[in-house]
Amino acid sequence: MFVPILIAALAFSQSPTDVQKGKQLFEGLCSRCHGFDGTGGEGPNLNRPMLTRAQDDESLRAIIRDGIPDRGMPRVRRTTDNEQRQLIAYVRSLGRAAPATAAGDRQKGSAVYQRSGCSSCHIIDGQGGVVGPDLSTIGVQRGPGYLRQALLDPAAALPRGVQVIPSRNLDEFLPLRVVTREGRQVSGARVNEDTFTIQLRDANGQLLSFRKADLREINKEFGKSLMPAYKDRLQAAEVDDLVAYLSSLGGAK
Amino acid sequence: MNRLLILLLSLMSIATAASAQIPYQRIAGADGDPSSWLTYSGNYQAQRFSALTQISRQNVTQLKPAWVYQMRNSGIVETTPIVADGVMYITEPPSTVTALDVRTGRPLWTYTPNIPNDVIIIGSPPVNRGVAVLDDLVFIGTVHTHLIALDRRSGAVRWDTVVDDNKNGYYMTLAPLAIDGKIIIGISGAETGIRGFIDAYDAKTGKRAWRTYTVPAPGEPGSETWKGESWKNGGGSTWVTGAFDPALNLIYWGTGNPGPDWNGDERPGDNLYTCALLALDAKDGKIKWHFQFTPHDVHDWDATEIPVLFDAALNGRTRKLVAMANRNAFYYVLDRENGQFLSATQYVKQTWADGIDEKGRPKVKPGTEPSIEGTLVYPDITGGANWFSPSYSPQTKLFYHAAREVGTMYYKGEADYKPGTAFTGGGGRRMDGDVSYGAVRAWEATTGKLKWEFKLLTPPMAGLLSTAGGLVFGGAEEGNFFALDAENGKPIWDLQLGGAIRSNPMSFAVDGKQYVAIAAGSALFVFGL
Repeated sequence: MFVPILIAALAFSQSPTDVQKGKQLFEGLCSRCHGFDGTGGEGPNLNRPMLTRAQDDESLRAIIRDGIPDRGMPRVRRTTDNEQRQLIAYVRSLGRAAPATAAGDRQKGSAVYQRSGCSSCHIIDGQGGVVGPDLSTIGVQRGPGYLRQALLDPAAALPRGVQVIPSRNLDEFLPLRVVTREGRQVSGARVNEDTFTIQLRDANGQLLSFRKADLREINKEFGKSLMPAYKDRLQAAEVDDLVAYLSSLGGAK
Repeated sequence: MNRLLILLLSLMSIATAASAQIPYQRIAGADGDPSSWLTYSGNYQAQRFSALTQISRQNVTQLKPAWVYQMRNSGIVETTPIVADGVMYITEPPSTVTALDVRTGRPLWTYTPNIPNDVIIIGSPPVNRGVAVLDDLVFIGTVHTHLIALDRRSGAVRWDTVVDDNKNGYYMTLAPLAIDGKIIIGISGAETGIRGFIDAYDAKTGKRAWRTYTVPAPGEPGSETWKGESWKNGGGSTWVTGAFDPALNLIYWGTGNPGPDWNGDERPGDNLYTCALLALDAKDGKIKWHFQFTPHDVHDWDATEIPVLFDAALNGRTRKLVAMANRNAFYYVLDRENGQFLSATQYVKQTWADGIDEKGRPKVKPGTEPSIEGTLVYPDITGGANWFSPSYSPQTKLFYHAAREVGTMYYKGEADYKPGTAFTGGGGRRMDGDVSYGAVRAWEATTGKLKWEFKLLTPPMAGLLSTAGGLVFGGAEEGNFFALDAENGKPIWDLQLGGAIRSNPMSFAVDGKQYVAIAAGSALFVFGL
């Protein structure tokens, strides 16, 4: 019983050099989404003792090798066995470091969520509105830093990879303002688009579909978000609590 | 007038159907037989132009589906149908050949080779781009690296030749090119450290007639551009069907990246003949001339785009030209008799070169190589162009091109050669999303001077067809099939086909009616008036 475990441990023995090289690779390939030092961003933070989808090194290797394309994680590039070993060494070292302590209280954060009206636009566990992204599993999709920024300054980075459609990494929930040929002005969030047509959802949740040729203007409001900034609406402690609550969503139950 | 012409041509087709033969002379004369589509790019000049006029800018708004064929396997469909004598020959992913009744889309026969489960396909999805036809045979190159000849009437195997060993990463996705008595085929696999080649096989027996390596062995001309043993895994895939000039008896074929793709440390030098256009003597495969677009490539900018042949007046005399909109962001015009460089014009955003010098060599900017931390360079890893076809119209003298406007973060990594495994030395992250886009562009074929553009939401992976009806047909990644005015690029008609278009349009006529075909998603769509 002990012998195979020992062999496995030896096979994945990780030298400090591996960790160093893995860090260098990580900063090039992974940090854009998982953050420097794996603290998370558009992708989840990796500085935790247990990674839900990569509990052993073989599953971690498979994710590094192939990505998780249906969850928005690409295989950034092909890696050699050696490079995979170095990346594993570094990612595991993140989990051994002191875990990032969530400053907030998730129970209190839940209350902040309720009283701030978030559920008029967002769904958690089946409850809420559809104007913004479903947050039921947001804690395993995004790092705490990204969630904090999304609360304080949502226009700084529109979400990507939340919906299956539109694909191609287009900004999701992009605010649109279109003017029809008759002069009618319509605003909402982009639902989908192709070269000839565009679909949006207005503030009432109403779907509107246009052929672009029938529109006088199509204004894609990059740098804006339909979500209000909560920078001045919440106390610092409330933000911490809300981040702690959102970070807990979708984790192992 | 046009209807009469089509009728006459259809009658000619029926007459040839009786003999059920597609001799070389008929393929060479494809321009006079626009009811058929006899070779991957429509003619040997690889122009992807249809002389049919029935579907025109006046009536294309009435285009409607005639029939749809659903593929039996899932996977990306990149096939260009071949149509002759009432039959359409298509390929389905990964290497199935199916013959369809061209009037109804009903299958007549289908052939699927025995592909081992552990087939090695590194460098692309498991796709196929189409067949070649010659006499009474249909030819396919398979992902397990067989070149197979089937009887056109029944799909029965006439011969089956192993081109090379798939265990070492060789595989095939391209449509073969049938010339006089020979089948020309290229190879994929530079992402596994192969040594690329172009082969010719006797069309009747399947016996190899000649092989020309795209990477020279020590002592051969060009070997001085490789260091040590690096040539052995030097890459130089020959992914995409070339062009042919019967009068010069020269085959024009592009070559892909050197190996490993993104790490050039062990292969200092120009790495001939990778990322080049080769002119091969059809008789023996000897390299008559070569032109290298991207010396010592480290961005995977294969020169396996379609080489398009046309003749044009240039500086007061008519010249035989070959043009390629290269993956590296420049459109090149060369003299196809001797390979002389005539011009290069940038056609998409690029950040890697300060232009092209008078000899045709890029002036590479320092600091544009891939790195461990990533280097942002335009064009992207798929290039400003890729395998999908441009079109040249002898009527408008314009070169029509579906361009990709996107950059990539290029990474350098380790490269460790083990037969049949990835030997890439890095890779890239495409900077797609709302900052990237695509465009159908038309430019003067001889000068590269832009005439018009029609923007696409995202970078395309689909080719174009221009027609004598004054139209350019194309496809979008989001599934839109569309027709533009060939003179000014104005969109006239479009239809959502419900799946990404990653194929090339073609056109044919039967019973006096013109049709246009395109694959989208997992289906082939045929449209008529």
